Amino acid sequence: MPRLNANEYDAVIIGAGIGGLVCGCYLAKAGMKVLIAEQHYKPGGYCTSFTRNGFAFDAAAHSFGGYRNGGIVRKVISELGMTDRLRIIKNDPSETVITPDHRLSYWSDMNMTIDEFQKDFAGEKSNIESFFEVMKSGSPQLFIKMRKLTFRDFLDGCFKNERIKAILAIPLFTYSGLPPSLISFCAGATIFSEFLMDGGYYPVGGMQAFPDAFAEKLREYGGELRLSCRVKKIRTHQRRAVGIVSEKGEFIRAEHVISNADARQTVFSLMGRGSVDSDFRKKIRTMIPSRSYFVAYLGLDDALPHALPGTTVSYFPHYDIEKAYIMGQDAKITSETGYIMRMSGDATTLTAIVAAPFRNKAFWQQHKTAYTDALVSHIEKTSVPGLQKHIQFCESATPHTMWRYTGNYRGAAYGWASIPSQFADIELKKPPCIKNLFLAGHWTTQGIGIPGVVYSGFATAQLIQNVRRRKVL
Amino acid sequence: MPDSVEKEIVSIISEVSGVAEEEIKTEMNFFDDLEIDSIKAIEITVAIEKKFKISVRDEDVPNITTVKHAVELVNTLLEQKAANAKA
Repeated sequence: MPRLNANEYDAVIIGAGIGGLVCGCYLAKAGMKVLIAEQHYKPGGYCTSFTRNGFAFDAAAHSFGGYRNGGIVRKVISELGMTDRLRIIKNDPSETVITPDHRLSYWSDMNMTIDEFQKDFAGEKSNIESFFEVMKSGSPQLFIKMRKLTFRDFLDGCFKNERIKAILAIPLFTYSGLPPSLISFCAGATIFSEFLMDGGYYPVGGMQAFPDAFAEKLREYGGELRLSCRVKKIRTHQRRAVGIVSEKGEFIRAEHVISNADARQTVFSLMGRGSVDSDFRKKIRTMIPSRSYFVAYLGLDDALPHALPGTTVSYFPHYDIEKAYIMGQDAKITSETGYIMRMSGDATTLTAIVAAPFRNKAFWQQHKTAYTDALVSHIEKTSVPGLQKHIQFCESATPHTMWRYTGNYRGAAYGWASIPSQFADIELKKPPCIKNLFLAGHWTTQGIGIPGVVYSGFATAQLIQNVRRRKVL
Repeated sequence: MPDSVEKEIVSIISEVSGVAEEEIKTEMNFFDDLEIDSIKAIEITVAIEKKFKISVRDEDVPNITTVKHAVELVNTLLEQKAANAKA
């Protein structure tokens, strides 16, 4: 292999989200000279943590899944030799769904989960068992068969009771932002198998420990991570990506360019207008992004009774998830608003998350405080009595904040919306019209959340190595 | 034409699986030999449907386990499409 000059790399990755980091580690491990350029001053994308007034918060991602034996996250951590580097604990139950009439948990022992559901829905006993069995063992054949269907199609075939269908759809709304009538069966089944039935894992030290461990590993493999380094352009020559230009105007040559950034930004701002063909531009322009969230970060005194520390709680005051999806576009908290909350394992903080529309900075400057107050008082009324008097610190992030820190289009929480027509499309991993350009992360349509982006980073690295092998042969 | 169908399919499988085209043999099993998981299975199906402008039916799915099966199925679907166009 010819030696490369200082500003020449085998691969440059735009963005140190988990997808970019995993991809970079695999490429560096394979002996490639890798650079990851990240605009933020810390790695992780949506998987970062921060400290304010002595309280430690996870910014967005607050636990992860896919860590069972054979799970994608465990596989990658072990293949990259990082098992000893991260101490990972598991919260059990990983997830609890609360409505006015039900309280159902996802336990690591699936039979306990099935028991709880069967107690509440005696008329659906055998259907509950077969539902969880299918979620656990979803085969490639089943996925192909169901590829054009939504999760609602599947739920309608499984159950008669509308309420159990809604309760099973609540965590899908939590983890995709979509109602059952829109989320693809495949994305929904993945949320069950990777987040709910194998979720609740947490790195000791906070979510930031996760990207930090990958960043450290990248450097050990000889890779380079430049923080606070915003990429301005992907330079192309004759329909081939040849490198990037940093905001400071520095050109960095690369044989492969991998964008872990938003797909829209990649195509419309990073690529020159003439370098992407109009069909692909049109495709990206007409694809639907996922929605965003508003997050309240609350620092607590130690007198608040510990309500399920470590477990992600989804609270829904009603059973109409379709309506909740539509209401999520009003920047309003009402008695009908569903929310997600997680108290840290040590019970010092509580993070509350609620669907919210993208609005500009001025809008949120005006409404952020009232919005946060309304959310806190709604939580106090519905699930954590006395919450307000235990809050010692309060900060919040709007969809605009999400966009500002990560560059995700309008603060989209999960890349593209996981509707059937936007699932597992290979053109989003490797745009057809431009050579040596790849994507990694949740904008590739291969999956969402941490298991999804770990998978994507791994799959893109695998694809690049294959392309290189072909060139050598 | 059938040869080029096989070539196109192998190229799609290579692109998705990360296995070099030269190493993909028609008798290979998607799941045991090529490690095709659920996501990759959909990627391949969607890419094949798009490439050949055909639609894989539910009843075809359980029968596709090897590269050869996929090539045969695509050929059958293409013949049916051609016959329908004539009719």
